[in-house]
Amino acid sequence: MKITDACIYPYPYGDSSVRRMALEARSLGFDRLVAAGISSGNFYGIDVLNGVLLRDITLKDLVNHVRDIRDKNAVVSVQAGDSGFNRAVTSVKGISIIRGIQSADRTAFDHVTARMAADNRVAVDIDLSPLISARGIIRQRAIHRYRDILVLERRFEFPITLSSHARSVLEMRAVREISGLCSLLGMDSPDVEKAFAGVDTITTPPDPAVRVL
Amino acid sequence: MTVRPPTLREKRRYVLVSAEPSGTIIERKDLYYAVCDAITSLWGDVTAALIMPAVIVSENGYIIIRCRRGTERELSLALATITSYRENPIALRIVAASGTINTLRERIQRLQTPDTEPVGPQEYIVGEKVFHVTYCSGQKVDLIEKGFKNTNRLFLTREDLEEL
Repeated sequence: MKITDACIYPYPYGDSSVRRMALEARSLGFDRLVAAGISSGNFYGIDVLNGVLLRDITLKDLVNHVRDIRDKNAVVSVQAGDSGFNRAVTSVKGISIIRGIQSADRTAFDHVTARMAADNRVAVDIDLSPLISARGIIRQRAIHRYRDILVLERRFEFPITLSSHARSVLEMRAVREISGLCSLLGMDSPDVEKAFAGVDTITTPPDPAVRVL
Repeated sequence: MTVRPPTLREKRRYVLVSAEPSGTIIERKDLYYAVCDAITSLWGDVTAALIMPAVIVSENGYIIIRCRRGTERELSLALATITSYRENPIALRIVAASGTINTLRERIQRLQTPDTEPVGPQEYIVGEKVFHVTYCSGQKVDLIEKGFKNTNRLFLTREDLEEL
């Protein structure tokens, strides 16, 4: 199991180079990062995967974009939309993560989408930045939404990923701190470990239904 | 009020924290307000009263924060939510917790490493802006934009500097 931060934004999106973020991630206890706009590689012993985030896009364009992505190691994620969009996204081949569920509509991720996400191994991302940097109603709303998502996760067992959405090394948090913040959402230690390994679940191909002996 | 004998005093714990970015000057009083704000926002007034935070020492980028014994977890989670100090971005990294200040002072002395000089020039041009080296330790190099106001920082490594 590799402890993974499922989304960071290195330079030019943020103020820290990917090498510096990898160096910081190593000291904070991570094994792997998913970085936006960076070719996959290994920096200071930390695996960095190419993260592709698609947002504000129609379903037709989304399918075309996913087809055009040449990097086979890329982790493709989509910004959550309304209920219909999210249902459709979970059945598009090549999509790994649905992000921004905390800012989507309350009914955007229901039990039907949850079942489809579990069947198609599409993860739902828990963005910890509202818990870290937001205050008041924004933080409260995010906690409420994440708790709601986790109820569905326990029922349907779709993958969960944890991400800091850090644009700077100053926004990155240690594994222990992230575990503590997840405990605010009602996650216990095994849940957090499973969520840290969520990227493993979506990047490894599923076991074949029929095995030839 | 007379001082209570040690057996009747409340047990306390001290948390050693390092402040990033390097070179940030921390005023105890201002940090205390930031810590109290973070605790109250995350846990509410009741838990804040139980934690009883106090900033004891602030020197060379290291801070010792006191709390009541058994509330270290609540304090450390609240510290993780502090993102700015005097309107500048900051990160507080927890280094250790102890029952005495002396132990943490010894830890600070062990942790303090002298800055190493960067190899190469002191000024770099990144995206048509001039940056100069402000901090360098091991592989880590911090650049700060030249100017008086709204100067941005860049967090790079020595390898990044070689590629500039």
